[in-house]
Amino acid sequence: MGGSLLKPVILIGIVYTILKFVVPNIPGSAPLPASLIFLYLMLTTSGIVIFATLSGESKDAFWGPIQRFLTGENIGSLQVLRYGVLLLFPLIVGWQTYNSTATSDAPPAENRTIHPAPPGEYTGLSNPVAKTPDTIQQGKGFYAAFCSPCHGGNFDGKGPAARGFNPPPANFSDPTTIAMLQESYLFWRIKKGGVGLPIEGMPWKSAMPRWEVELPDEWIWKIIMGEYDGAHQSPRTWE
Amino acid sequence: MKHGLSKIATGVVAGVLLAMGFLVAEPVAAQEGIAVRAPMVKGSLPADDPNAAVWASAIPATFPMSPQVHWPNRILEATVRDLSVRALHDGTNVAILLEYTDPSEDPDDAAAIEFMVGDKKAHFAHGQPMAQVEGGPVNIWYWKNKDAKGVDMNAKGFGTLSVQPHQDVKAKGAYANGTWKVVFTRPLTTGHPEEDTQITTGGFINIAFAVWDGKKDASGELKEKGSQKAVSSWWYFRAEAPPDYSGYYYAALAVGLALGFQFILIRKLKKGQSA
Ligand code: HEC
Repeated sequence: MGGSLLKPVILIGIVYTILKFVVPNIPGSAPLPASLIFLYLMLTTSGIVIFATLSGESKDAFWGPIQRFLTGENIGSLQVLRYGVLLLFPLIVGWQTYNSTATSDAPPAENRTIHPAPPGEYTGLSNPVAKTPDTIQQGKGFYAAFCSPCHGGNFDGKGPAARGFNPPPANFSDPTTIAMLQESYLFWRIKKGGVGLPIEGMPWKSAMPRWEVELPDEWIWKIIMGEYDGAHQSPRTWE
Repeated sequence: MKHGLSKIATGVVAGVLLAMGFLVAEPVAAQEGIAVRAPMVKGSLPADDPNAAVWASAIPATFPMSPQVHWPNRILEATVRDLSVRALHDGTNVAILLEYTDPSEDPDDAAAIEFMVGDKKAHFAHGQPMAQVEGGPVNIWYWKNKDAKGVDMNAKGFGTLSVQPHQDVKAKGAYANGTWKVVFTRPLTTGHPEEDTQITTGGFINIAFAVWDGKKDASGELKEKGSQKAVSSWWYFRAEAPPDYSGYYYAALAVGLALGFQFILIRKLKKGQSA
């Protein structure tokens, strides 16, 4: 009889496990906020209750054991557990209430999009500079002069001037920066700088200079070649 | 009978564990970035005294500084690498204490605090224009050793720095043992919301810093001047609100309601059973 109560609980447990631990590990997905998990579990629970109470018989099978447990008639040693539940329930309600009314003590969460979409005119451009040992070398020279104070002589984002900047200068040897990007995208980012980002990139925080005011386009294309070569990465191409 | 009960027990235990899971899963707010927190103090603020004992009631926040290499004229190395910041408020005025090491006291030693103004975001480098976001101005509070006063300024882009017609900021520096301590004070709110940052208690606002080492090199040129300085990024500042205990009252009320609900429910169930 009580088995009809065990199944729903197991079901909810499984749903919770999936939402909490499996979904975040699916590539391209992110951890679900607790409020969303809660909502899904509430939906699952109400589904179970509706299903269990559809017929008079299943209704009794579902509520009967709960009723017996709550009233504490003839449950013997489970009495202790019953008191525990009766004590815990108000405490949980109180705790949740406290959490939902307490003002946040943390600075605003910062969900900065690191690679927002570039403006249309910067998609699909190809590097007009011929790739030769010479042009790569020139690019590395420009990189050393203009970029290394922040992005580092080793292309690791740890230049001598990097420490104060938040967000930090990109680490080009990390596979999640330029290796994921096309040359065209880099051209946009270098030319327009941090202030060229759309709102989701939080342009007001970026120290990345707007190089179009200081460097000709041809130098920027050479720097891009030098940067990939130096960081031992290659640009993402059309798949 | 016994069999059914043990099953109930399993179910209830699982249910309680699940409920506790919710508690644990409550989002623990990510502590991203650092913030200067200004506690509220009773009595007057130590506006003229960077060494006053009351500063100990504020927890210092330390910010890394970079030589300004973001726009020309750049500087590849700056003297100050870390800045420690404390703040206090008394409900009317705010006092912010900057503290940093500088091997020599020079007349041109200087420091500044920067804020955004109003609701518009502003780029940390002098509120320079952004391509896809309409930015606002920045409010800059500036102090220079030889001037011995605070200067209230605005900028909206490079080359637009201007001194306000109305000056609300006071500043006082004290140098000892290779350390500068500089206190800036201002009313929390002013009558000029278009130019001045307005500080309301409890809310986070953006804050950034700059420091100039006014030392001269062998040829008599200033090492750091103008855009050649140590800078920080945007961080956060908050004037703490007076303590608020309403969360506890609401929680107590909720506990009472839950107890009452349980009591009535069980009574009803018992009546139903005996009937
Ligand atoms: C003042 C420090 C500074 C200098 C100098 C600088 N950068 Fe940056 N750069 C940054 C910061 C900070 C970021 C991360 C924030 C952002 O994406 O805007 C960044 C981001 C980038 C990105 C984006 C990487 C990505 O994964 O999205 C590229 C590309 C880049 N920089 C290239 C360059 C090149 C090339 C130069 C030299 C011509 C240069 N930077 C000079 C600070 C700097």
